[in-house]
Amino acid sequence: MKPVVLLIGADKGGVGKTTVTRTVLDYLAAKNMPARAFDAEHPRGTLKRFHPVSTDVIDITDVADQMKMLDTLHTSDVKVSVIDIRAGLLSGTLQALTDVGFFDMVKGGEFNFGLLHVVGPSVASLDEISEVLPLAEDKHYFVVKNFINETSFFEWNPDVYKSYFNMLKNAVEVNVPKLNEMAYEQVELAGVPFSTFVANRNPQGLPGNYSLVLRGYVRTWLNQISAEYDRVGLLDRLSS
Amino acid sequence: MQRITYAAIVTSTHARTGKTLLSRVLADYFMVSGDSPMIFDTDPIEQSLSASFPSQSLVVDINQVRDQMLLFDNLASASTDPRVVDLSHLAFRKFFNLMRDTDFIPEARSAGIEPLILYITDHDRRSLEEGRLLLDRFADCAVVVVDNGHLRQPTSITRQSSDYRALHAYDLHLAMPALDAVSATVIDEDPLLSLGELLRQPLRSSADAGDLAGNARAAIRSWVLRLFREIYRVNELLETRLAAEPAPPQLTPTRSDA
Repeated sequence: MKPVVLLIGADKGGVGKTTVTRTVLDYLAAKNMPARAFDAEHPRGTLKRFHPVSTDVIDITDVADQMKMLDTLHTSDVKVSVIDIRAGLLSGTLQALTDVGFFDMVKGGEFNFGLLHVVGPSVASLDEISEVLPLAEDKHYFVVKNFINETSFFEWNPDVYKSYFNMLKNAVEVNVPKLNEMAYEQVELAGVPFSTFVANRNPQGLPGNYSLVLRGYVRTWLNQISAEYDRVGLLDRLSS
Repeated sequence: MQRITYAAIVTSTHARTGKTLLSRVLADYFMVSGDSPMIFDTDPIEQSLSASFPSQSLVVDINQVRDQMLLFDNLASASTDPRVVDLSHLAFRKFFNLMRDTDFIPEARSAGIEPLILYITDHDRRSLEEGRLLLDRFADCAVVVVDNGHLRQPTSITRQSSDYRALHAYDLHLAMPALDAVSATVIDEDPLLSLGELLRQPLRSSADAGDLAGNARAAIRSWVLRLFREIYRVNELLETRLAAEPAPPQLTPTRSDA
């Protein structure tokens, strides 16, 4: 299998990008496809808190960090690299990757590349799609509609809705359902991957003491997301 | 033989089928047996079961996540106290969906608790259909079909239905004897009357029996006795079965608070 780079980003904060990244890491692990993660929320690193072992915090604008990430793609045992792009840096990152010739290598068949673009329910967020779209041509482009905050995506206004989502001929729409707030909060507090929470383990891997009900909510939600990633063929697209 | 710690869920799909009464008798049965049951009332409006056990019961609203946690986390907690849930017909669907979504059965077993569903059927087709669905859906859990002699029986046409026949052929039934109207009223109007204690009192001495008329007392006493015998019989049956079965698969993570 070719090395895979999966970019997860949004141009806007607060759309649940890191949550989506965490579900992707859980999904890949469940499919026996270990991934390494790069958290571009330098220097904060929210993702690292949940996946401390597999995550490196990087500054995507820094050349040394770009090398750390891209130059190791061939040498790393782990074939999938997931990059959580800081809010506001998606277009910039795509541009930077173009500049270092990364996309030429993708075209040349050296790597596989996918982009998960997490959008929020605002016109601004939808505008991003039109911005990113030209840069995402020929790539596996997934538009992730995140319903975590119980949002609605202009379904009441078919004109706005169509104008954006119909423009995405080659994009795949992924829907991430809402997770019960109390369950979400408890996982935040626990600071573990969702799958670890479901398995009732603490960050040290010892038996945890999480609520049966909240674990049930997380399990059901994770299963729904997993079914959604299956539906859009996330793995097949990336490993083809 | 190892004694079973039950999480008994008493339910039906309709109101006024005897759920609360059976829950009350079951809780009394456990108390008379020397246990201190945890009692859950899922009807936040009426709270009838809770009225009988004000200090031992919790009232939960199944639609609140906090209450769901209170209920399920307690039901699956590692302790040898039996649990009784009076599951209102209004909470029926939500409860059983949660029971599935939370993987409650293996989780409870890993804490040494045996879930037990007591489903009261009535004459209605839907009740029979739901009962059959319940048996299919929870094949991995002990389900007891309760025939309440107090309720109207299914008509001969309903008895032709596949659901009725499936339930009828099912091998784990508990017969709840019919209760006469006077006794029913007495029990209903005196939620604090301990049915278990009633059995322990001598029949003739009315010194502590309060204002319960002798006849009503005798009738209730004999009814409770018959029901206790039924509960005992079903328990014996379950103990034999569970002892014969290989240990059910356990969830790997065991609770740290065990």
